[in-house]
Amino acid sequence: MIDERIYEMFREIGRDLYGQNMISSHGGNLSIRLGDKVIIKRRGAMLGALKPHDLIETRIDKNDSGVALASTELLVHRTVYQQTPALAICHCHPRTAIAFSLSRDVIVPIDNEASYLLKKIPVITEEFASGTPQMANKVAEALQNYKIIMLRGHGSFSTGQTLDEAFFWSSTLEEACQIMLSAKLINEPFIEYRKMSESYSKF
Amino acid sequence: MTGWNEKILDIDLTTGSIKTYPLDMTMARLFVGGRGLGVRLLWDLVGPGVDPLSPENVLIFTNGPLTGTAYQTSNRFSVSTKSPLTGTILDANSGGFWGMQFKRTGYAVLIVRGKAEKPVYIEIKDEKAEIHDASHLWGLHVSETTSRLGQDRNRRNVLCVGPAGENLSRIAAIMNDGQRALARGGPGAVMGSKNLKAIVVEGSGKTEVADPEQYKFMTYETKKLLAASPLTSQALPEFGTVVMMNLVNNVGALATRNHQHNMFEGAEAISGETLSETYLVKSDACWACPIHCTRISKTEKTGEVEGPEFQTTWAFGAQCGIADLEAIIEANFLCNDLGFDTISAGSTIGCAMELSERGYVDSDLRFGRADLLAPTLEDMAYRRGLGADMAEGSWRLATTYGAPELSMSVKGLEMPAYDPRGMQGQGLLLATSNRGACHMRGNMLGLEVLGLPKLIDRFQVQGKSSYVILNQNSSAAIDSLVLCKFASMGVADEYFARTLTAVTGIPYATGDMIRVGERVWNLERMYNLREGFTCKDDTLPTRLLHEPAPDGPTKGWVVQLEPMLKEYYRARGWDSNGVPTPKKLAELELQEL
Repeated sequence: MIDERIYEMFREIGRDLYGQNMISSHGGNLSIRLGDKVIIKRRGAMLGALKPHDLIETRIDKNDSGVALASTELLVHRTVYQQTPALAICHCHPRTAIAFSLSRDVIVPIDNEASYLLKKIPVITEEFASGTPQMANKVAEALQNYKIIMLRGHGSFSTGQTLDEAFFWSSTLEEACQIMLSAKLINEPFIEYRKMSESYSKF
Repeated sequence: MTGWNEKILDIDLTTGSIKTYPLDMTMARLFVGGRGLGVRLLWDLVGPGVDPLSPENVLIFTNGPLTGTAYQTSNRFSVSTKSPLTGTILDANSGGFWGMQFKRTGYAVLIVRGKAEKPVYIEIKDEKAEIHDASHLWGLHVSETTSRLGQDRNRRNVLCVGPAGENLSRIAAIMNDGQRALARGGPGAVMGSKNLKAIVVEGSGKTEVADPEQYKFMTYETKKLLAASPLTSQALPEFGTVVMMNLVNNVGALATRNHQHNMFEGAEAISGETLSETYLVKSDACWACPIHCTRISKTEKTGEVEGPEFQTTWAFGAQCGIADLEAIIEANFLCNDLGFDTISAGSTIGCAMELSERGYVDSDLRFGRADLLAPTLEDMAYRRGLGADMAEGSWRLATTYGAPELSMSVKGLEMPAYDPRGMQGQGLLLATSNRGACHMRGNMLGLEVLGLPKLIDRFQVQGKSSYVILNQNSSAAIDSLVLCKFASMGVADEYFARTLTAVTGIPYATGDMIRVGERVWNLERMYNLREGFTCKDDTLPTRLLHEPAPDGPTKGWVVQLEPMLKEYYRARGWDSNGVPTPKKLAELELQEL
């Protein structure tokens, strides 16, 4: 039986991801680590309108019947939990960030907030960019050093101690990318306001 | 290799021998420094069954690769030993200047063994170490000892014990730089049992850094984040740690009158805000710390003195039913000068007050008797009357007088200010802490009250073990670096990992650093198991498990420990009896245990 408080966390953040255009109707997924188990969105459920039965509990280290119902990205979530200290994962499809990921190997924000919080977001490439062991390992490896990463052309994976912390990084990334896009549209010389900003790309 | 001093100084007070030898760098990479390195060395040096107050116990002083680099809060050092209060593994760390100065001498570790025939002190000037007669210092208070040995802010630094340590009080602290403490678990008694009055350090070395550019960047970014956080840039500098008093009281989690209540009607009178408006003279800081949480307070009796901190103010305040800030400042100063752990001292007095009120003990101690704080502390330090029993800590005191359930302790170590009935995760943290009830073993206050990094439901039980485990591991890692926990209130673990990488040249991902903490935690657990502790010791005082909290927003709650504990053992990779499995030990490169 999953605690009502935990369901509320999923429901609120799923709703906000959808409301902020960070996912399509059935896209994205969320999970938390609960001791030696993971609670993850049910496969095919709508994050924007989660019901209590849309949360699936399964083991992190091995399969049980829960795996038949869990999100297609379960393998990535499990691998991240096994290889990093993450307690929560947010996977979404932030549109502007995806657009930037198509032409860059790293996204280095230019706005103040994301510079403080994220410094740099690596973009990784995987041919089979959904639910494969290769992808799971690449994502988990990158998340050992970064709290949010982009999978080229697919979306972001972010980690935190709580779901809203992981959501925060995703939201910050998309906001940063929207600002970068706006700056490009304005197309005027950039005035650097950050000391040591050249170090961000080496973070 | 950069970052670490690669030498151990090993002094045997029984024989007078002074040796130096290389630090095992494989061990250093796995355990980093501070608490981690301390427990690894102690595992080999102090086997099962050793009396903590015998010459066979050792004191292991350690610094870490970041110590002395000038990275924010890189001033701390650690001591590891077997605790005379709990019989468990013990480490305690402290700020100020001594740790930075110790690093400058060129040593990573100082091991002190045996027992001197008569009182001595150790003096380390760069790599030269000498043992001197300390007969003229024995019996002196901490401030006098520190002054006579030539304390000079950041040039020559003194660590010593006061009368409490000399008289083997099991709640005696080791004091450094006058009023800083390696407080918990009675390390001062271990030092006293060795007839070791003081250790003086004076050094001129510098800590080299592998990647100066990245190190400079991390220091700059850390500075920005600490400045951006209202907690580290405003609340702690302006009010000190006592800023927590009203915050914790308001959520109904401030232990009061020996945990009989969970809210204190006098909280405002002893809060950080009141301190700032009354007795505060100025703030101060440890070496290389921008936070400035140290209070300098003044009363007629004390003059200008350091403190009081939040836990101290709580221990002599709410826990004793005392809302008299002046009396608390004086008790704090006296504790420092006698060389006591303020939490254990205050809480033991609170316990004695309840024992007296309930008729177990014949004394004048009553909740609210501020006038008795100072004379009681003196009695404890010199083991006079009831003070002799109180010097043993609250668990032995309450047991002696037939009411062990009135000791608010875990594994014999007195609890901190937080009533875990209002913070369920804090309850699990305290019950499973390897050195006994300690709030510094994981920042559940951050998650359950302050919203660091984000607020979680403090009454939630399911899933709490995950938070507790991550924060215990993180805390053990920070203690091994050795940095201050307040830095982690503004800066995430990833900054520490990247700084460690920049300083040592060895790549540590955030997960690697947390893994160091997990390794340390498991080794500490193994140490306690070897000493005969079992899962039955992972518990809390009966009052907190069975008596519903009577006050405010926490009213009606008890700690739901059992389900959290079961989940905790599984999530730790331990068996149902709380024993780390061979698989877990191998995963942590502890298979040789």
